Amino acid sequence: MKILLILAWRNLWRNKKRTLITISSVLFAVLLATLFVSMEKGSYERLIDSMVKYSTGYIQIQDILYDEEPSIDHTLLFDEEIEEILNKYEEQIAYHVPRLQNFVLVATENNTRGSILNGIDPELEIKMNDLNEDVVKGEFLKPNDNGLMLAEGLAGILNVTVGDTLVLLGQGFHGSTAAGTYPIRGIVDLKIPDINNNTIYMSLSEAQWFYGTDNRVTSLIIMPENPARTQQLAESLRKVIDPEWHRVLTWEELLEDLLNLMKFDVAGTMVMMMILYIVIAFGLFGTILTMLIERRKEFALLFSLGMKRAQVAIVCFFEALFISMAGVILGIIISIPVVAWFYHHPIPLSGDMAEAIADYGFEPVLPFSADPTIFINQALIVLIISFLIGLFPVYKVFRINIMEAKK
Amino acid sequence: MKTVIKTTNLQKIYNNSVAPVKAVNNISLEFQEGEFTAIVGPSGSGKTTFLNLIGGLDKPTGGEIYIDGTEISTMKESELFDFRLRNIGFVFQSYNLIPVLTAKENVSFIMLLQKRSKAEMEQRATEMLEQVGLSDKLNSRPNQLSGGQQQRVAVARALASKPKFVLADEPTANLDTESAFNLLDIMEKLNKEENITLIFSTHDQRVIERAGRVITLVDGSVSKDEVIS
Ligand SMILES: Nc1ncnc2c1ncn2[C@@H]1O[C@H](COP(=O)(O)OP(=O)(O)O)[C@@H](O)[C@H]1O
Ligand SMILES: [Mg+2]
Repeated sequence: MKILLILAWRNLWRNKKRTLITISSVLFAVLLATLFVSMEKGSYERLIDSMVKYSTGYIQIQDILYDEEPSIDHTLLFDEEIEEILNKYEEQIAYHVPRLQNFVLVATENNTRGSILNGIDPELEIKMNDLNEDVVKGEFLKPNDNGLMLAEGLAGILNVTVGDTLVLLGQGFHGSTAAGTYPIRGIVDLKIPDINNNTIYMSLSEAQWFYGTDNRVTSLIIMPENPARTQQLAESLRKVIDPEWHRVLTWEELLEDLLNLMKFDVAGTMVMMMILYIVIAFGLFGTILTMLIERRKEFALLFSLGMKRAQVAIVCFFEALFISMAGVILGIIISIPVVAWFYHHPIPLSGDMAEAIADYGFEPVLPFSADPTIFINQALIVLIISFLIGLFPVYKVFRINIMEAKK
Repeated sequence: MKTVIKTTNLQKIYNNSVAPVKAVNNISLEFQEGEFTAIVGPSGSGKTTFLNLIGGLDKPTGGEIYIDGTEISTMKESELFDFRLRNIGFVFQSYNLIPVLTAKENVSFIMLLQKRSKAEMEQRATEMLEQVGLSDKLNSRPNQLSGGQQQRVAVARALASKPKFVLADEPTANLDTESAFNLLDIMEKLNKEENITLIFSTHDQRVIERAGRVITLVDGSVSKDEVIS
């Protein structure tokens, strides 16, 4: 076995230049692929982070029917039973954020518009997403506030500002009518255009009174001490909640549509990656093929002397594997600091692109992901490709005709 | 005397598009242990084909080959690989050495494949290279050696594993006169010292008289078989 390794190793350095070029091509492919995937993943992580932060949280407890049919009638009673459960997992839960969300009609003297009313606990909401930092005019809601906070876009559409009064109309709990007038306390810039054009905040207690829901919420957001253990915490909670009435959802389930969309997008970039892989595959294949062709006489000699085909095949396979392993390992070694650098110094964007991204409340940069699975996956893919290519000389070696190769 | 190789009505016919070529035509010969034989004949007379057949590299189209009493022409390919490794030493006209191995590693190569002990390999490889006058080239790669030196390494390798017999197909064809004589001297000496049956082919009149037996081929048939004292 040792002699096979020695032969393979020395064969590689018979044509140093060619071997080094092939190794570098694998190296650059791995580097490009990791950078590319890291960039794509970075954007997704940023989006998911922001969705989790502002919208879904890590875990939600809801009424069993709410996910299917979001309605004020499918709300969850935030009672002692739930409190008890939360207390039980105190160590794993950092805090929880109750929300009551429902459709509402908002009217001024000459304007009416459908909006989403969010009953929030102002202090907990700030803890979750620093919403107070987005106040552009007036003040953030106080606990038990009986005023409103309006998204900037909606304020523009309704042509109102801090101090003005709005009429709210909606359907309350079990078909009751919800109506009231509320002064505007503050205006917040919610960045994402759709949300910025239809969001109203109210303190939770006022919202519960407005809709007549007593102590009900549409969702109870659970923020775990350790977000990495979200799944485990959700599992534990599922075991103790009453599954007939309540349901525990993780952000992955809550953002299912978005995640599916990303998967679809990833499939698109996979096509690009495939092209990259095919290019390296051909480079590697070309080298392996020339190594085979130029050594026909040598193979004939080895076979004549009595070296088994399997042994010669192993030598050739090792050669292919050495080249790709070297390329992959060097590629990873180089891409780690490169990705790390971009992770800490994301590429700044300019122009329309920067504006579009800033519109969504993100910093106008291309973020990179430093998820270790990126490196592992890329290394594995390239290794599998080279493994398959390495099988070609094996196949060939078993078919060489000694008498013909000798000529 | 022990018969090492025996062929009966050995035949190899190539079916060329023009007309079939009888490269080896009904050759029945015996080779005894320790013999030093030259196969001579003009180019195309069937020397290479005959050596390839008795070396188990090529399949005959007729007749039998017995090595130490074993019929080899019916063996499977994998058996032949092993048979060659255990029993036959080869020296070819050119491209004899593995380019990435040193002279000593090349000489040890067969023994390595045979899984001999390290000490034995070491001792035998050094000894054989000494015998062929290359003690100072143990660690040279083939491309650092002259054509004659390369052929001497090949001879050393062929004999190092002490095979039943050694086949050398025109080993001197690419060598100048001095190197050719030198190689034949070495082959002759080793044949005597190691008592290994040695068959070489040549169409070079200069080296023929070194052999103890000269078999002349013409058009694939034996035309003369003489023992030289
Ligand atoms: N693979 C082959 N296909 C067809 N004819 C061949 C082949 N090998 C050898 N021959 C023919 O067989 C005859 C003997 O060839 P060879 O054994 O090489 O002779 P020598 O070694 O004495 O020069 C020649 O006529 C040659 O053309
Ligand atoms: Mg010939």
